[in-house]
Amino acid sequence: MSPPLLEIEKLTKSFGGVHAVRDCTFAVPEGQVTGLIGPNGAGKSTVVDLVSGFGEPDSGSIRLAGEPLVGKRPDVISRLGLIRTFQTPREWPNLTVMDNVLLARRRFADESLWRCLTRARRIRRDEEADRAAVRGILGRFQLTAVRNELASRLSGGQKRLLEFARIAAAEARLIILDEPMGGVNPVLGARIGEAVRQFAGEGRTVVVVEHNLPFIERTCDQVVVMDLGEVIAQGPFAGLRANPRVVDAYLGMDQSHA
Amino acid sequence: MYWVSVVTEAGIFAILALGLDVVWGWGGDFDLAFYGYLALGSYLTFVLSIGKPKPPVEYIIGWHLPVLLSIALAVVVVVGVAAVVGAIALRNLRGIYFAVTTLGAVSALYLLVENYTPLFDGYNGVYGLINPGQSALNLTYNGYRVMFLVVVLVLLVLAYLLVQRLSRSPFGRMLRSVREDERAAAAYGRPVFFAKYRAYLFGAALAGLTGGLFAIFISAFNPSAWTPQELLVIYAAILAGGRGNPRGVILGVFVVYIGFIELTRYLPSPASRPDFGPAMRQILIGLMIILILRFRPEGLFRERPGLDRTPAPASQRVAAPTGARSEERGTSERATREEGASKAARRRAGEIN
Repeated sequence: MSPPLLEIEKLTKSFGGVHAVRDCTFAVPEGQVTGLIGPNGAGKSTVVDLVSGFGEPDSGSIRLAGEPLVGKRPDVISRLGLIRTFQTPREWPNLTVMDNVLLARRRFADESLWRCLTRARRIRRDEEADRAAVRGILGRFQLTAVRNELASRLSGGQKRLLEFARIAAAEARLIILDEPMGGVNPVLGARIGEAVRQFAGEGRTVVVVEHNLPFIERTCDQVVVMDLGEVIAQGPFAGLRANPRVVDAYLGMDQSHA
Repeated sequence: MYWVSVVTEAGIFAILALGLDVVWGWGGDFDLAFYGYLALGSYLTFVLSIGKPKPPVEYIIGWHLPVLLSIALAVVVVVGVAAVVGAIALRNLRGIYFAVTTLGAVSALYLLVENYTPLFDGYNGVYGLINPGQSALNLTYNGYRVMFLVVVLVLLVLAYLLVQRLSRSPFGRMLRSVREDERAAAAYGRPVFFAKYRAYLFGAALAGLTGGLFAIFISAFNPSAWTPQELLVIYAAILAGGRGNPRGVILGVFVVYIGFIELTRYLPSPASRPDFGPAMRQILIGLMIILILRFRPEGLFRERPGLDRTPAPASQRVAAPTGARSEERGTSERATREEGASKAARRRAGEIN
């Protein structure tokens, strides 16, 4: 097994009296796709928020390639190589599809106000390479025809694809997808599964939070199961069906899968 | 000469509006302190250049610096004050909370200036900057005013080129992404506060500059020359011209200042009602805001995204976006909507070519 890229240890977070996440410990091996499943309210999304800096844990530690993440701002964590999505696609609506993906390329040095004023021509020239790369990515996600549209005009499905195009452009080490299959039809679902496997094939590490168990079984190398804020099982998907705690917590899992 | 002064004033306010548009149009922050930066720039230009106060007049500093140097120093101080206000207001506050905080800041400044006379002589204000350099340039009074108009217009063109360059740059794109969705921008590595903060200081620098120009323009400055309400007219102008589009912003200012404020002076005013003109002006501006928001919310010139005009490879050009078929909607309805959408893109591309 490859060494873990993301290590979460004894993570705890409560909102008022509710323990959203309790003593949560698991590791995400590098280069693999890890599914994070569990019933609603199990604390999956809270874990994603805590890992990506959109919330601060009460206690516990999170490390990305050994680097502690707790206390860092979301943008700092993102620059360390972690890209996360949200449950609904969060495109930048009044920017074009092309600009949306171009922004995900994250050439931060060229965003300096001073350099943009003094080195405009040079920056524009350098950007051509990024634009060419983005055109390739747009083609890969069938967005070429709409590249000059405002992202707000895309359909729900196209917005999902745009989200994946942005992730592909970001070249992150760790990708966390929060319910990528929400409201997605089977054809697009297959496309998304393909994209996730492709990310893993490129050597990226992926964590998928998802309720669609067939999708998890097809796409993930290992699964972490949470319930009531705790990790109750971890391992390959096949082994989970034999685990009574998982069947108990995730009622109907066997039926929905059968 | 009347029109020289009208156009000069519109030109000065156009520079101010360009700065405000970076903060509000691109960054999305409804800043109500902005006019305070113009006022501060103006006061400082005075007290740095008109020399020692003669009692009973009192104000701080009282140096006799050349006016251009005074303006430059004023800009530096204004940016410093904006750095403090921005650091407090931009860190966690958004939307109405940000607006109220900046309104609080400018109101505090206003009350301080008005009531604490040793600062800028309170309600009487400062004066005495009459056509600086007129004799050195060997100009008549009117000649000087025309020259000043030319200077303002040249500065406006420079400010426009600067802002336009920034608007198309990665900085402009990044700032707009923060406006569009702050959390997504952070998730893609953008330091939200720092991005907004830099835009805020840039805007404040332009406001400080316009303050200096305003000092030369009206040659006296007191609290009645600036109330926080003045700013709403600038916001109306940006809204009318096109938020986020530098060309539209300039057009908007000229439309509002010349079209509404000056032309309404020619409205017949019954002798019994001398307040008819000013009242009508307010009504017309209000009406304009309502009509624009109803019929053309993006303004006369919409914010114009940079388009990618490189033709797509033939294999991809016709490819119907399969993902689009994913929604519950009927595919035929989808297809027609897409067609309409790409037509709109072609139209926009045509506008640019």
